[in-house]
Amino acid sequence: MSDRRSFLKKTAGFAAAAAGLTTCLPAQANGQSSIKWDEEVDLLVIGSGFAGQSVAVNSIRAGIKVTVLEKMQVIGGNSAINGGWFAVPRNPVQLAQGVTDDSPAELVKDQMIAARGMGNEAMLTRLAEMALPAYNMCLDAGVKFKKDFNIQVGGHNKARAVRLESGTGGGIITKLYEAGLSEGVDYRLQHKVEDFIMDGDEVIGVVVRKGYRFPDEGTGHLVKIRARKGVVLATGGFTRNMKLRSIVDPSLDPSLDCTNHLGATGEATLAAMTHGALPVHMNMIQTGHWGSPDEGGFGWSNALLSIGWHKGIAVNPTTGTRIMDERADRLTCSTAIMACRHKDGSPAYPLVFFNKNDHLGDSRVTRAVRDEMAWEFDSLELMAKKFDVPLKQLEATVEQWNSYVADKNDPDFNRKMDTAVKLAAPFVVSRVWPKVHYCMGGLKTDLDGRVINAKTLAPMKKFYAAGEATGGVHGHARLSSCACLEGLAIGFIIPNTIKADA
Amino acid sequence: MKKIIFIISIALIMAGSATAGDLTEMNKGMKGRVNHEALYDDSCNACHTGSAKQFVDDSACQDCHGSINEIEIDESQLKMAEANPHKSVHYDQGASCLACHAEHQTKKPVCSECHRTWFEEM
Repeated sequence: MSDRRSFLKKTAGFAAAAAGLTTCLPAQANGQSSIKWDEEVDLLVIGSGFAGQSVAVNSIRAGIKVTVLEKMQVIGGNSAINGGWFAVPRNPVQLAQGVTDDSPAELVKDQMIAARGMGNEAMLTRLAEMALPAYNMCLDAGVKFKKDFNIQVGGHNKARAVRLESGTGGGIITKLYEAGLSEGVDYRLQHKVEDFIMDGDEVIGVVVRKGYRFPDEGTGHLVKIRARKGVVLATGGFTRNMKLRSIVDPSLDPSLDCTNHLGATGEATLAAMTHGALPVHMNMIQTGHWGSPDEGGFGWSNALLSIGWHKGIAVNPTTGTRIMDERADRLTCSTAIMACRHKDGSPAYPLVFFNKNDHLGDSRVTRAVRDEMAWEFDSLELMAKKFDVPLKQLEATVEQWNSYVADKNDPDFNRKMDTAVKLAAPFVVSRVWPKVHYCMGGLKTDLDGRVINAKTLAPMKKFYAAGEATGGVHGHARLSSCACLEGLAIGFIIPNTIKADA
Repeated sequence: MKKIIFIISIALIMAGSATAGDLTEMNKGMKGRVNHEALYDDSCNACHTGSAKQFVDDSACQDCHGSINEIEIDESQLKMAEANPHKSVHYDQGASCLACHAEHQTKKPVCSECHRTWFEEM
């Protein structure tokens, strides 16, 4: 506890600090001479997720001073709460497992299949080639990955996904933040970029709402910050902007829940568009097929299903029959899941279940059961009763599945059967329903990260975009474990671009 | 009336049924935390500079309480070890005090957006 004296001392100090912040700098003689800047910085990065942090840390290591503006009251945006999967071809665990035929090109091959003809192969290749440097940057920063863990995840033809020990991208975000702080990156929370200040086709600064308290737009006050070396837009997607979501993709069921943090609203992207930045693929919004209606956010579901998709099956509760190749990519699975409806059109959440006794003590199971988004049942009968599934059909489905496992062949959906096991009670069960997850669309950039102008289709000056805020990279479907890769990898490219543009 | 509430709140503290962070009626009808009572003698200037509308940053909290890394948390109050909001695997030290705490009203911690069963409104 403290006393009055320290309050008064603190107040004096606080007032002095505040006075220092509002010192006006001389106006610039660059055709914008009427602008009164409140502050000048070198490189300005907007957003503190994978992309923003990687750009910041790699820039400061390249000798570029960096200021990171984050509008929220916490760092990291979606990256801080994501599932912690990271695709790294040729990572040491993969090699130790004897997988020696992987490469960045192999990864891009998978990504281009998922992109369904709409991906940017050259960009994906550049990013994939930076996977190992990005992984090593994490290790150097003290990031802990799950020991000896590297598996094949949906849509990939190789086991190449490592996972954070903590099970969330926060494991990377917190460590890069620590590294950035110690190396001199200037991070600021509650700074919301409202607009860009242009000189023709060049970004020269931003209008920032400083002291912003999300979601109250009336909070804080506006300041103008000049960015001498450029502005990097690393603000993520817009899945929480319901109005924009429904404009660009009217087919997206508005009742679909979302995995993203509440600040994923895309206003910086829209502001950039008003100054000529070219948006692409804005209607391509990905739903994660591994969501659970029984929890908030990204949750435990994805990790629990990393067991379920391999060791279990997905069943329509109204029919008791399997609905899909449980190991297919997101779009295929989302479509199959969302086709499960009750007669009135309301969601009939498919059940995914696997053998409880094969995974005793696995934290993916114990925490899911603890937080009541998964359940344990001693028999198919009890499961059928709880979720109102036709028991006879469910029993027949399991019996048939077990014969497929014995034959190592799935004639119904042609699932790869190498990890499949026979099902026997007791079971762990969870319900699935897609959640809106990721925006493939965003600002078009060139291969070096420069934002493209809609009028000239040429790069804008000193304006860069990184991570989910960019568009046209992944085409129709981003593969799992590739958002983390993209955000971290682009951080190795943009600092070089900034130096080249100087 | 205010005075009566004030006296009652003091009485409550004496009775030991209010905890350090409880909201109570302060001056000018503004609610505040009982442990900050003395601060309100300085009107709003102990935390706000110039006007009460001015942005208050974390230093207003940290000057007395210390940083997020220094504050001792009573871990027996947590639902489980990993529900320690000052050692979050998502944010660690990268969180403003205001992400979870508010002076003049109750607030749901940012964590409860996803972890619905872990935290209560404070």
